[in-house]
Amino acid sequence: MQEKPDPRNLLETARAVLLERLLPVLPESARLEARMVASAMAIAARGIGAADEAPEPELGAAIRAGLLDDDPGLLVRLRETARVRLAVSNPRAL
Amino acid sequence: MDEGRLSAWLSDAAGAPVAILSHHRLSGGAIQQNVFLGVTRGGVAEEWVLRTDNTATLAVSLGRGAEFALLRAAHAAGVTVPEPLFGCEDRGVIGAPFFVMRRVAGSATGHAAAKRAAAMGGDAALAGDHGRQLARIHSIRPPRADLAFLGAPPADATTAFITRMRGRLDDAGTPRPPLEYGLRAMELHAPPPLPPVLCHNDFRTGNTMQQEGHITAVLDWEFAAWGDPHEDLGWFTARCWRFGQYHLEAGGIGPLDAFLAGYAAEAGWQPDPARVRFWQLGATIRWAVIAADQAARHLSGRETSLELALTGHMVPELEWDVLDQAEALHAGKA
Repeated sequence: MQEKPDPRNLLETARAVLLERLLPVLPESARLEARMVASAMAIAARGIGAADEAPEPELGAAIRAGLLDDDPGLLVRLRETARVRLAVSNPRAL
Repeated sequence: MDEGRLSAWLSDAAGAPVAILSHHRLSGGAIQQNVFLGVTRGGVAEEWVLRTDNTATLAVSLGRGAEFALLRAAHAAGVTVPEPLFGCEDRGVIGAPFFVMRRVAGSATGHAAAKRAAAMGGDAALAGDHGRQLARIHSIRPPRADLAFLGAPPADATTAFITRMRGRLDDAGTPRPPLEYGLRAMELHAPPPLPPVLCHNDFRTGNTMQQEGHITAVLDWEFAAWGDPHEDLGWFTARCWRFGQYHLEAGGIGPLDAFLAGYAAEAGWQPDPARVRFWQLGATIRWAVIAADQAARHLSGRETSLELALTGHMVPELEWDVLDQAEALHAGKA
């Protein structure tokens, strides 16, 4: 068993320090990169324990070949998968 | 950079002695390097920008020689671009091909431009200016001997686009069913081909230099190709290039109708709004493909970069957007 706090908690705690304590005292030239670091930490934290299933291997090829043109459930399935991915990468866009 | 060698070459090209008084790197793109040159030409002070390739150049972009030829064609067509001065294909001068253009004042920061325009409730005049610039670019039509490097125009821009995107997805090797869905929708609803024009292919907020709400230069010509004019109209207005100001459909800076009206006034014909939406879907797919490729560059270890890594995490949002737009296209609402 890993020691607590868990990786997600550590990332979130460290990110808060970066944004609340370090960012205000960083020179302007370093702020954009600091915000990028904060973004990367947020994505990493959300990704811990999130579903990470590879897409069905033939799905893309079948769509491309037009085999699923008349499949009424296809769009719903694609949205479900996309939602899971978006919840990690950028939940604000949901 | 060997200043002596460069100033000797520049003197020869300019037909007058050129002395380099100062030079420094400007913030450039991921692909190119821009270097400011403070010079005297025949004793008169001038400000130039030297543009050359970065080491990790995207294979899909045109070289500097081609970009120089495009800049000259655009300048002649009345597009607001930095005046192209000299092009050099000889790697012996600074180590890579380069060209020199006159420095233009202004800044090209997408977020800042969109924020400024949004603060005034949208800048219809600036949106119209972008339309007019684009129409002038599209006045350049094949055949053009000076642009022979662009190859023959595609018989059908939509088919060519779909084939190119599928090829890039296959090369990347990561299955992306939402992008396949979007491409299939484009294939099923492809409009009939139009006569080809020169498409800039990266005409968006952030690639036009602006000063006090006016365009001072259209930049970044390295993706130009023959295509359907609506490809550029869709790229500029796609949701993914509005820099957070989603209600300002023209590049996050102004209303769509002002942009299209500016275009129509200059071009002498009305863009088809349905075709614009069709190519907004194309734009979103293409940006997703590019963003995934940028992350792949980071992942390959060739160019470890937090910016490239984060760009990869934009792909799911783009895929989400592709599904929405493809659904609208199927429903005939696009």
